[in-house]
Amino acid sequence: MPLLELKDVRTEIRLKRSTVHALDGVSLTVEAGQTLGVVGESGCGKTMTAMSIMQLLPNGGSVTGGEILLDGRNLLELSEAEMAKVRGNDIGMIFQDPMTSLNPTMTIGRQISESVRIHRHAGKTEAHERAVEVLSLVGMPSPERRALDYPHQLSGGMRQRAMIAMALANEPKLLIADEPTTALDVTVQKQILELIDGLKERLGMAVILVTHDLGVIAGSADKIAVMYAGRVVENTNTEALYVNPRHPYTEALFDSLPERGAEADTKLYSIPGLPPDLTNPPTGCRFAARCRYARDTCREQDPQLDGETSEHRYACFFPVGAVEKSAKEIPVTLSEATSSEELPQTSIGAPLLTVQNLVKEYPITAGSILRRKVGAVSAVSDVSFTIYEGETLGLVGESGCGKTTIGKLIVGLEDATSGQIDYADTDLAKDKGARDRYRKQIQLMFQDSYAAMNPRMRVRSVLREPLDIQHVGDKASRDKRINELFDQVGLPRTALERYPHEFSGGQRQRVGLARALTLAPKLIVADEPVSALDVSIQSQVLNLMKELQAEFNLSYLFISHDLSVVRYLSDRIGVMYLGKLVEIGPAESVYANPVHHYTKGLLDTIPVADPAVERAKEDKGIEGELPSAIDPPSGCRFRTRCPAAQSLCAEQEPPLVPFGTNGHLAACHFPLRTAEGAPAPAVTLPNPTIPPATVPAEDTKADADAGA
Amino acid sequence: MTATLEDDVLPPEPTAVELGLDSAEKPRSMFRRGWEVFAENRLALVSLIFLVVFCLFCYLGPVFYHGDAFVSNLDAVDLPPGAGHPLGTDPNGEDVLAQFMHGGQISVNVGVLSGLISAVIGTLYGAVAGYLGGWVDALMMRAMDAMLSIPLIFLLIYLGMVYGHSTTLMVLVIGFTGWFSITRLIRGEAMSIKVRDYVAAARMMGGRGPRVIWKHILPNSIGTTVVNTTFSIAGAIFYLSTLSFIGLGLQAPNVDLGAILNTGTEYVDQGYWWLIYPAAVAIILVILAFNVIGDALRDAFETRLQKR
Amino acid sequence: MTAYLIRRSLQALVTVFLVTIFAFLLLHLLPGGAVRGLAGPKATPLQVKLLAHEMGLDQPLPVQYIKWLGNVLQGDFGYDYTNSQSVGSEIAGTLGQSAYIVGLSLVLAIVISIPVGLLQAVRRNTFLDHTMTVVSFVLWGVPTFLIAFLLQDLFEDQLRWIAPNNEIASFHDAFSSPASILLPVATLTLTTFASYSRYVRSAVLDELTQEYVRTAIAKGASRRRMLYGHVLRNAMIPMITLIGLSLPTLVGGAVIIENVFNIDGIGMLTTSAALQNNFGVTLAATLIAGALTVIGSLIADLSYAALDPRVRLD
Repeated sequence: MPLLELKDVRTEIRLKRSTVHALDGVSLTVEAGQTLGVVGESGCGKTMTAMSIMQLLPNGGSVTGGEILLDGRNLLELSEAEMAKVRGNDIGMIFQDPMTSLNPTMTIGRQISESVRIHRHAGKTEAHERAVEVLSLVGMPSPERRALDYPHQLSGGMRQRAMIAMALANEPKLLIADEPTTALDVTVQKQILELIDGLKERLGMAVILVTHDLGVIAGSADKIAVMYAGRVVENTNTEALYVNPRHPYTEALFDSLPERGAEADTKLYSIPGLPPDLTNPPTGCRFAARCRYARDTCREQDPQLDGETSEHRYACFFPVGAVEKSAKEIPVTLSEATSSEELPQTSIGAPLLTVQNLVKEYPITAGSILRRKVGAVSAVSDVSFTIYEGETLGLVGESGCGKTTIGKLIVGLEDATSGQIDYADTDLAKDKGARDRYRKQIQLMFQDSYAAMNPRMRVRSVLREPLDIQHVGDKASRDKRINELFDQVGLPRTALERYPHEFSGGQRQRVGLARALTLAPKLIVADEPVSALDVSIQSQVLNLMKELQAEFNLSYLFISHDLSVVRYLSDRIGVMYLGKLVEIGPAESVYANPVHHYTKGLLDTIPVADPAVERAKEDKGIEGELPSAIDPPSGCRFRTRCPAAQSLCAEQEPPLVPFGTNGHLAACHFPLRTAEGAPAPAVTLPNPTIPPATVPAEDTKADADAGA
Repeated sequence: MTATLEDDVLPPEPTAVELGLDSAEKPRSMFRRGWEVFAENRLALVSLIFLVVFCLFCYLGPVFYHGDAFVSNLDAVDLPPGAGHPLGTDPNGEDVLAQFMHGGQISVNVGVLSGLISAVIGTLYGAVAGYLGGWVDALMMRAMDAMLSIPLIFLLIYLGMVYGHSTTLMVLVIGFTGWFSITRLIRGEAMSIKVRDYVAAARMMGGRGPRVIWKHILPNSIGTTVVNTTFSIAGAIFYLSTLSFIGLGLQAPNVDLGAILNTGTEYVDQGYWWLIYPAAVAIILVILAFNVIGDALRDAFETRLQKR
Repeated sequence: MTAYLIRRSLQALVTVFLVTIFAFLLLHLLPGGAVRGLAGPKATPLQVKLLAHEMGLDQPLPVQYIKWLGNVLQGDFGYDYTNSQSVGSEIAGTLGQSAYIVGLSLVLAIVISIPVGLLQAVRRNTFLDHTMTVVSFVLWGVPTFLIAFLLQDLFEDQLRWIAPNNEIASFHDAFSSPASILLPVATLTLTTFASYSRYVRSAVLDELTQEYVRTAIAKGASRRRMLYGHVLRNAMIPMITLIGLSLPTLVGGAVIIENVFNIDGIGMLTTSAALQNNFGVTLAATLIAGALTVIGSLIADLSYAALDPRVRLD
């Protein structure tokens, strides 16, 4: 008997004037010791499924049909008191954002022991001991001390570990993880996923992993259920899903992944349109309106979840491979074309903007009366690079690496502490007047366009603002320009009268892009422009950016933490760590032949949507936590987590030197390979100890045998 | 796509519906939407109507009703409501209804004027302090903290003593002391708006301080401003009536409703209820009405920004 | 935390100084000069001259301020010629009653508002919630004097449940006959509790939407544990700041209540002094009230810091 079984579950959420049919007949099973991945985009119902199991639905939500059987017991028939005994005891759950999911005024030890006290009726000391025990189980360094800490004193990864500890304190049979790694850095993400995997084995649990990230699922799940618009559309084991997706939505999802586009060098496929409105679900197959293979049958009848084998089921009348793609195209906007087109090519020209020895420090003040400067956060430390005309330079790194700060420095939102920004023969860092003059030519595109637009201004005014401020043309020409811009980003002109909140996320990003283009800039700094978007929408915006670049010969400084997106769009990639530029070079070169250990670590930890590749990864990735930016490690800043670190690394900062002739540079004393491409000689010496004063206590040292 | 657009080259434009934007109706302006939310609050509508009626009564009443508020008629002292005097007479023989209308006018006049003065001062002070930040802000706020610490009633009593009790001076005194709480709120708004991305975007486009304040900060804090103006009007009427009641506000012949109560309550034991309850009820209802409207406005402004 | 303690205390100190400066400036607004006002209408010209010299009116303003401040800090607020006693002692005699009434009302208001606000939040949008909201609204909006008057009218005159009280001339009186204190305290409590319970309601509602509440239930916590152990705890901490901020209004309310119920507190003193055009007493009372509320606010903020770990551990 499966551990958990969902049979035809229906969930509704009653709003003031309408009802959202969040789940419409969801059936799933999970066996003990197995990980079920539930994947889909926002609004598909994956989180609602998790909430329905736990009976944690929001106000107005209720399960209106079906059964949820845990070990044969129907959870829906339990009273609230009985369900409370199940939660935290038989089923544990962890959430996406550990910062807000933990009570900020209670120590984490107390929050964990609370769980123990509720279910095992343990006394205070006993519960606390158990809390410390569980904390060490989840790999928290110095568990006794951490148990007395408050959530805001811990890093993101540690907070998530605390949450896991809380969920597992009573050794539940099932762990539900709702987007557990989305709010974390990539390197920490890998640690947490492995932790969950390891715990699953040790405790013999089952795990439901809910996520939108196809790469995360590839490495961690045994079986996968793909959800769309409140239903399961495909359900099978992991290999089968990736190798042989049957449902058109699954196939379309894979096609939208930047990884696929980067390899084939083609435009990304984007799924046209938007998911259906669940207050008024369409008849027939819910994906029909956006499906490449849709026929009339699809719009009239509901496909059931079925398949040739019970192992691989899908809900589609015309699954992948069964029919030819329909010749009749559904009307789409300009940038939502099909995937087989070639990418528009840009020619890369002369250097446009050069950053030299750029430094930015944020002072920290303390003191009771007068605030004295007691230290500084080193956000950007001696960074130099060049952006060429027509190229896209991608800047990647994890949180705190300084990439966003560099973006702000370049557009002039912050003043550099020292260094130069050379543009058109002037130093923008020093010459404020020049900065004003060249403002038109360097523009910024924000991550969250909603926050970046005045909510009380109609979009027309939002687009007009740059023109107004810079006194470009007259009213008539400004309006004309705005209309043109909207056409170029593929939005209807009638939408100009709307307010920002009326647009969807992807559309807002387009408006943001349009605004960035208003002044006809030469360089656009795009700070995480697609990070908040679903994969299928991401591809729309990325395609658009590519097209506009070709048309206007734009340069982009593309800042992101997402390596696969960066790789798709960039000509060259720069990798940053803790304020330093550790590697930079042509995208393919950096990707295929990284020189710096951090780059390699990053590449290894990024989940790839290919189970075979994921399984083959033996490397444990990058261990340890990010050191403090206030007191960064001496010499090479990465040495505290680097498998190849030596004493030299602590004494001398490695310079950025070329590796090969294609402009690939890296800063490392003991790189992964030499300039000629051959791997560096293996280091056989064990790591000599590094002076403890500069090593944070929580750090884990890598094994001595790790070398090149 | 090229820079010049020719109609026959463009594929059909996607309809707004396909793109998920609302149906083809012209988007309602934010004002209309705000009004709709306001109107949903029936209590607020009732309050609004009440205020309108009350004002009409007090301002237009004397045109139709010819009782004399200021003429002493010592033959007709302390009469209960009856013929010729719908609300009776007071100890001086003056007609209470006429007094009431007159008092109502004054209460509302002073209240609204002082409320507006407070709002203007408070908004400007708060916006400047919030936007500028730094030591300017610190100084301004310390000064305000000091003034906020002194219970308002003491200040009003003292200033009333110093400057006298004419209507104009009362308006100024109450107006110039009532702006402290508004400042706090507007400053908070200015500070939080200052760091929003859209302000950064405006700065990055080359926008400067005055433009930012005018186009971004003020419009986005207009909700707070309007709501708190209403509350400050309510507060002004509150304080005025309180002061007059203890005899330290407006005095004869410029009696407002509070002053009417001052004399009226002395006759509680005689049971001359007409000297007390009409004015009391009026004060209560007017203040409540303004408060309810302020509350409803607050809701209206908030939901403007949400999808309905 | 120590840094915060020091910083906050210094802030309070600065504020108090500003209050004194403010009061000093107010003093000099007086027509006929500060001296005339301080001396009072009944002082003889000779007394006025003496006072002028003592205050050093021939000297520049800042020096006068220092001198005046020096006096004030020693408790010397001048001499009240009208009532023939020092202003300081006059005020001191009244502080007790006021403190008693204000303190008692404050405690009662807090104690009542928490369960009411919590109940309202938990039963949001039910009839009970709406009723309580209306009641709070009314209590908050209606002028204090009217509430006082109406209560008095109801309980003393109409129902005759409480005898019309005698003047409470001393602290002792207040203590020994609780009935005489009942209505004044009830009035002040009612008006204060209104804003407190509205705050509790919205604070609890805010906390209820926080994600850690979901985590608590996911752990298996009962609703009760979630409400009291997590939500209420967190919602109460900022309430302390609210209390600090409401002190001026509270003290101000006491002024009115003392007037209506004839209690010899600092409020009554101020109003009667004002009616007699006695600037000295009025100003001194203003100054003291201001200083006391700054201190009260300081205590509130420090307590807040002690309870919120995010502040405590910085």
